[in-house]
Amino acid sequence: MAEPMLSLKGVHKRYGDLEVLRGVDLDVGKGEVVCILGPSGSGKSTLLRCVNLLEPPEQGAIFLEGKDICKGPGSGTGEQSWNLDFVRQHVGMVFQQFNLFPHKSALENVTLAPRRVLGKSREESEAKAKALLERVGLGDRLDQYPERLSGGQQQRVAIARALAMDPHVMLFDEVTSALDPELVKEVLDVLRELAGEGMTMLVVTHELGFAREVGDKVVFMDGGVIVEEGPPAQVLDSPREARTQKFLGLVLDR
Amino acid sequence: MNEFFNQYFDFTVMGDHFGEVLDGFWKNLLVFVIAGMLALAWGLVLALLRQLPGKKFMPVRGLTIAYIDVFRAIPILIIILLISGGLPYLEFIPKEIRIPQWFGQPDPYWYGVLALTIVYGAYMAEVYRAGIEAVPRGQIEAARSLGMSHAQAMRHVVVPQAVTKIPAPMLNELISLLKDTTLVGVIALGESVLIGREIQAETFNASAYILAGFFFLLICLPLARLVDYLIKRNQGKVARGSHIAV
Repeated sequence: MAEPMLSLKGVHKRYGDLEVLRGVDLDVGKGEVVCILGPSGSGKSTLLRCVNLLEPPEQGAIFLEGKDICKGPGSGTGEQSWNLDFVRQHVGMVFQQFNLFPHKSALENVTLAPRRVLGKSREESEAKAKALLERVGLGDRLDQYPERLSGGQQQRVAIARALAMDPHVMLFDEVTSALDPELVKEVLDVLRELAGEGMTMLVVTHELGFAREVGDKVVFMDGGVIVEEGPPAQVLDSPREARTQKFLGLVLDR
Repeated sequence: MNEFFNQYFDFTVMGDHFGEVLDGFWKNLLVFVIAGMLALAWGLVLALLRQLPGKKFMPVRGLTIAYIDVFRAIPILIIILLISGGLPYLEFIPKEIRIPQWFGQPDPYWYGVLALTIVYGAYMAEVYRAGIEAVPRGQIEAARSLGMSHAQAMRHVVVPQAVTKIPAPMLNELISLLKDTTLVGVIALGESVLIGREIQAETFNASAYILAGFFFLLICLPLARLVDYLIKRNQGKVARGSHIAV
């Protein structure tokens, strides 16, 4: 395999006495879709937040397109620095709670960062935002404010907003967990389409069906470490580790 | 009973001095408008300084918190007297600044505006802070994850939402500010209460105070109603689960 798009080496993260990540190694190839499963508190979300430096790791290294993003001026202090700019503009993130800007319309949500961060013109950023919203099936909702949109629609706007920055890697943090059951599919369809177009994706999810169908690799985390990883069929159907078996048993037993 | 009414509600006294008291109240309003605008701006600056992230800005945050705490703890009257009783004699400061007479207003006017801005800036900073902290953490995270700097996230995402959450407490502070403009009378600005005192000394009758109080009532009562209305409306929106408060 060529140089991985994203590579984590011995990543550690602690909050006070609580060690949330205890040495995580993970390689994600270009265009790969990696689904991360695990019980709550296993460190899945923290792992994603480390990758885009919302929570800088204390130990270990993260390589994005070959560059170590944890090193460099201002790293780990929460200050703006070359690596922070580099990461935030190459890695898009979508959150469980959507986090759309409630005082801005769908279109403005998508154009804000391209205009303010990349300095693009209104015309250029709006044309692109329209195309992106069209693509996630919201071409007729450009001027709606988030409170007038359903959860599924809000989450699709959030995806378009992240895509507007032309990320090379997309992080999805339980993006369907806050949705009513009937709205889950419309969001997963967008993810499916993105995966088909070759986007590199890290997806924290409880949707086993989605992981099986779309994932190139499934990772099972527990207690801040990766317990098991491999092709979806292997991890989901014949897990080797007892903890994976127990978790899958509980999830499938609902 | 008649004696009581004559002492406080002598309409002859009120009528004879109506113009003077109104002129004084006009000065209260002039102090209020300028000090109010300056305090709103200065308070926002203080609130933003207090929110600066990271270790690097720890001293700035500390100083800002100290400022806010100190000026909320000292009586405004002391600040007014400290400025008017000290600033004019600091000869290393240019005369136009230590004895300001800008825009045709006398120096006590500007000392009052300065003192009220210093103190009410601290109060306003606390109001803004409540608004900023009421914006969900996920909003900053979303903005930051899109590559915005802290300053861009505050300017485009956090502050526009924060100010929609605080008109009621902000109006309360402005009502207090309007009433506190009467303190500037102590340093000989001819505002309504000082005028009232002069009239009282002349007539041995307290009716001019009632007249001055009436002018304040006229402005503050509708504002108090407006605060109530805003709070009620806000509660309605929260109950309906709207993201934008007030």
